[in-house]
Amino acid sequence: MSLFTLFSVSASGMAAQRKRAELLVENLANAETTRTPEGGPYRRKDVVFESRPVETEFASLLASLTSPALSGVRVAEVVVDPREPERRYLPGHPDADPGGYVAFPRISPAEDMVDLMNATRSYGANVAAISAVKDMIQRSLDLMR
Amino acid sequence: MLDPVAGRIERYMDLLSARQKLVASNIANADTPGYKTRDLDFQTEFQARLEGLGPRVVEPAGLAARNDGNNVSLDRESRLLAENALRFSVASQLLRAEVRAVRAAIQGGRNV
Amino acid sequence: MAAVGAIGAAGVPVQPLESAAAPAAPGFRNLLEGAIGNVERSRGEAARAVDQFLAGEGGELHATLLAVQKAELTLELFLEARNKVVQAYQEIMRIQI
Repeated sequence: MSLFTLFSVSASGMAAQRKRAELLVENLANAETTRTPEGGPYRRKDVVFESRPVETEFASLLASLTSPALSGVRVAEVVVDPREPERRYLPGHPDADPGGYVAFPRISPAEDMVDLMNATRSYGANVAAISAVKDMIQRSLDLMR
Repeated sequence: MLDPVAGRIERYMDLLSARQKLVASNIANADTPGYKTRDLDFQTEFQARLEGLGPRVVEPAGLAARNDGNNVSLDRESRLLAENALRFSVASQLLRAEVRAVRAAIQGGRNV
Repeated sequence: MAAVGAIGAAGVPVQPLESAAAPAAPGFRNLLEGAIGNVERSRGEAARAVDQFLAGEGGELHATLLAVQKAELTLELFLEARNKVVQAYQEIMRIQI
């Protein structure tokens, strides 16, 4: 029975990595965005992960004794980069300040690309976990054949 | 009526299930700051006669930690994921063979 | 299949007809009841395991399935043994006639 709780663990991993990937893609798309509705340049966003115990369907003392503690993951918060924007000297730019400087997001596309690849890899590992559990449940059912 | 080995195979499968759940937790938390990899001491647990209680969770040694304290190695967890599933499959086959053998013995007297 | 006999008119327990006619070894009735007991026990264990699975309580899926398999095997063994006994009984009855 408790093999099934593994699904919610891996599903939480997938959801968290997907959120992470979404933000990274948003960062990459806005790496050069100098103008936002809130005013000022785009600010880089990042996720903070935190582990959370998995709620079993029927929380019983027996179940917690016989199964090891399982942790899923959740996105605790989305943090916006608080640092001062990067300033580049571009006097002709429409968003240049009186001194000719334009505020740009502090984003390193190369770093965020690598991060995105890692998020993809982690996402894939969670998918593999679900697949492995489905296989084990199938093997259990084979006992009846 | 099943050979005692069936009980040991079942215990083996119990441990593999427990371990696989920990692997899944590790994978889900591969990027959680401060999270430490969890595992079972498989050999010890298999030999210990722990009836009813689940196996004890340990933190394996020798894993490099990142700046935020997380020490999950996706390589290790992915390898364990595949290994556990495979072993589980083998154990299931062995149990099936045991059940088939007993059934054949029962029915073997049919046409005597 | 309880072994309680009927109470006849005189207040004396009456044996069920089958057991009076069965090829009798002294402990045969006990043997039969013991075997039935085994079947009942393993089926009870299997039923408990399934209930636990449905309720989400302890135990893994393979443990539940194995309990069900054991119950099936116990029943099969019992049925095969019973068939053999019935066969032997019928052969004996043929000889007498």
